[in-house]
Amino acid sequence: MRIYEDLRGLQGRLAIIQWVMVGLMGLLVVNFWQLQVLRGKYYRNLAENNRIRPVPIPAPRGLLFDRNGRVLVDNRPSFNVVLTTEQTDDLDWSVKRLSGLLQIAPAAIRDKLSQKKGPQFRAVVVKPDASEQDVATIEARRLEQPEASVDPVPLRSYPLGQGAAHVLGRVGEITERQLESEAYAGIEAGVTVGHAGVEAEHNRLLMGKDGLRRVVVNSRGVEVAEAERQPPVEGPSVSLTLDTKLQQALEEAMAGRPGSAVAIDPRNGEILAMLSLPSYDPNEFAKGIEPAAWTELSKDPLTPLMNRVIQGQYSPGSSFKILMSLAALQEGVITPQTTFNCPGYLNIYNTTFRCHKVEGHGTLDLRHAIALSCNVYFYNVGVRLGIERIARYARLLGFSRPSGVDLPSETSGLMPDPDWKRKVYKDKWYPSETVSISIGQGGVLATPLQMARVAAAVANGGRLVKPHLIKAVAGVPVPEPPAVDLGFHSSVIEGVKAGMIAVVAEGTGRRAQLNGITVAGKTGSAQVVTHARLEQDRKAHALQPHGWFICFAPAEKPTIAMAVLVEHGTAGGQSAAPVAGQVLSRYFGVPLAIPPAPAPEQDTPLPSPLSPRAAH
Amino acid sequence: MPVDRRLLINIDWVLVGACLVLSAIGVATIISATHAGRGLGLEVKQIYWTLIGIVALLVSVTLDYRRLTDRALVLYVFIVAALIYVLVLGPRIQGTRRWILLGPVQFQPSEFAKLVAALLLAKVFAESKRETLGVRDILGPGTTVAVLVLLIAAEPDLGTAFCMLPPFLAVAFLAGLRPKAIAIIAGALIFFGGLGWQFALKDYQKNRIYTFLDPALDPRGAGYQKIQSQIAVGSGGLSGKGYKNGSQSQLGYLPARHTDFIFSVLAEEMGFLGVTAVLGLYMLVLWRSLETARVARDRVGAFLAAAITAGLAFQVVYNVAMVAGLVPVKGLPLPFMSYGGSSVIYSFLAVGLILNVRMRRFAN
Repeated sequence: MRIYEDLRGLQGRLAIIQWVMVGLMGLLVVNFWQLQVLRGKYYRNLAENNRIRPVPIPAPRGLLFDRNGRVLVDNRPSFNVVLTTEQTDDLDWSVKRLSGLLQIAPAAIRDKLSQKKGPQFRAVVVKPDASEQDVATIEARRLEQPEASVDPVPLRSYPLGQGAAHVLGRVGEITERQLESEAYAGIEAGVTVGHAGVEAEHNRLLMGKDGLRRVVVNSRGVEVAEAERQPPVEGPSVSLTLDTKLQQALEEAMAGRPGSAVAIDPRNGEILAMLSLPSYDPNEFAKGIEPAAWTELSKDPLTPLMNRVIQGQYSPGSSFKILMSLAALQEGVITPQTTFNCPGYLNIYNTTFRCHKVEGHGTLDLRHAIALSCNVYFYNVGVRLGIERIARYARLLGFSRPSGVDLPSETSGLMPDPDWKRKVYKDKWYPSETVSISIGQGGVLATPLQMARVAAAVANGGRLVKPHLIKAVAGVPVPEPPAVDLGFHSSVIEGVKAGMIAVVAEGTGRRAQLNGITVAGKTGSAQVVTHARLEQDRKAHALQPHGWFICFAPAEKPTIAMAVLVEHGTAGGQSAAPVAGQVLSRYFGVPLAIPPAPAPEQDTPLPSPLSPRAAH
Repeated sequence: MPVDRRLLINIDWVLVGACLVLSAIGVATIISATHAGRGLGLEVKQIYWTLIGIVALLVSVTLDYRRLTDRALVLYVFIVAALIYVLVLGPRIQGTRRWILLGPVQFQPSEFAKLVAALLLAKVFAESKRETLGVRDILGPGTTVAVLVLLIAAEPDLGTAFCMLPPFLAVAFLAGLRPKAIAIIAGALIFFGGLGWQFALKDYQKNRIYTFLDPALDPRGAGYQKIQSQIAVGSGGLSGKGYKNGSQSQLGYLPARHTDFIFSVLAEEMGFLGVTAVLGLYMLVLWRSLETARVARDRVGAFLAAAITAGLAFQVVYNVAMVAGLVPVKGLPLPFMSYGGSSVIYSFLAVGLILNVRMRRFAN
């Protein structure tokens, strides 16, 4: 006989436990229904995002050629050593090891990692443009150090180096400021864009369209397969108006002196050459410039990053007399035959204004006044014209506003007039200031490109051209921007041209003379300090005036117009004219008439010892 | 010990069959979860573990469960000693002391502590013959279980420590715990839970709970497992991505995918249909186990079956809820399916004890 315990009391409670369990299981099933069936699509998307990662394929930037098909900017294959921090469990170890393999300080690597931008799994460039040996070293350790890899990238290369840095520009990672600007809208952080010159101005055109790879990655971010590939579209090749040979001739002629020079075709405004010194090597920027080198460049008092041709504002000095002559003849206040007597000074408005030739030029007409750069002649012209008309003609000829050249950050220069003075200084205009303005002093400021435009206007019979750099895109010619006819009588142009020819033939610009080609020009000296200050220290380089020379040739049928500025070069006839002469000699293939002899003429202006503002 | 032939007739073959099917599904899922990665050959090891588990099951049915419950105190002393040994002298593996190494074999005494606790609880509560129980009546068994909980929690292995509570509550409830006492116990658990949160939980444990509440806090850190598991489960949809075809599992986004998160792999590749089928199998196992408690010959047997079932049920429900992102991530394996010797052997021993109770429902 079996004795059973009475377990009837247990049954109820067991049933409760049993149904609690069924209830819990039921809740789980309901939850899985929600998770898998109702929200399945949402999670499938998340899983796809996990699995598929878009990897941009950078499009090679468009190549740049000169007007004759010579390569100005190229893309050369290069390799970056990159580190993907998410793929290592021990970042310290990875950094230490890479530092040993690549011979870079660990701190430098960490520095680069700390600047990382962009989404997860974006690799950080540890060593740009790595050597073949580095590439081999990293590739050989692919298995033990998968987080370090070699990334092939097209690297921008500039065969002309420093010689055309400012006009061509440079490339680099997009800056914070560019990211916020309209012109770069839609470009992501970390992308390479143009930073100056043509590279920046025509960045959109040159960039092309990046391709995209959609790759399957595992949880370590390691690619296991490629799901899709859209190939990149390379930026179009762009032909520029530049002439490599002329550019190189300009570089040689300037011989490294700070200053700038620009050559344009007076018939259509094509920029043939453009040089600004001191310069920098854009190749350094292409592979990511070292912070120290960047600091040095940006803090250099000689501002090597500035394009002096469009950003340097100088007082035009005597080269302004061309503009004065055009205005006076067109307004009829003088004729080419009008004479003035120069005793070496002019007493007017209770002030003595001096000529640079102390004993005076005697009586001379316009041609001689231009050729010898007589100040007294132009003081008289200025008095007859008055400031309003001078300013009007200056603006007509492109002063006080950017030329509209297709380069970024062009400045406008300055043409003072009574309105301007009232606004800025809350003071009235004094007639004596007009006298200073007449010889290009007294606050007038112009860029070398603006002065080259003035020379071109005389050369082409009175049309103001728009300087530009693009000749053709992908083989298709770009229409030339139209030039503006300024309405000068042909006699006016001929009168001024005769004076400019005389400058080179027999005047202050003789060192630009060529055998067989007639050059027309005008020298100028832009004072940096007052005459009195210069007297105290005749030899101080930084106090010497800037030397100007503007010109065009051949005078009869001009094909090139130039402006040359040598900073602290003293008289333009001594410093700038020889540069122009040397360049034109190379350009036309004819020898210089006066090889390397120092010119005796001085045209350093000796204006009023008082500044225009203080004059009474 | 010879087994009475009549006893074999009373073996619950449905229960055994369900367990074996679950084990087979586990092995298949382990193959899928590891075939692309480093853990090659784990499925073979798992099969060995399963065979050992079946042997353990056979051994455990030969001993009358009453002989085991009678010696529960001795077993308890042994297991406490083993747990102390692990804490003091055990090897440190990934920051925890959970293992005893015996030559090439390593096992976790905490897995067996769950069974010992069930035996002890069954015996102690069965001996109390009162109709209803108050708080005072459960202080004794409560303390003995609490010792195990604390020793295991100190390893640290909170998941396994928590597994001690459901059997305790289930048996206490069956033994006639009054509603008032249930309320007091709940209050005490909350109070001590709060104290434990303040003083006993390690930072990584707290972080796990924080990120459970808001996984976006640290998507690649502690919240990573929960997020990735939810993505795996959810993206499986109704019918799954196909065997060996789950991107979350195959590309390594799922952590611990052959151990604690194996159900996540199943859910991704087999979808809601697979999930429902496997949960159905678990329901079958648990239901049959509780049926055993209902038909048991005596209170000890009923309590033992109920305690073991409660432990198994807790592990299944918690693990599956964890995979679905409903509860914080704890290192709790899924019985029968998760890879791991201790877990597999525990699962089979547990079922063995239940079979033991059922087989002897008529015997004297």
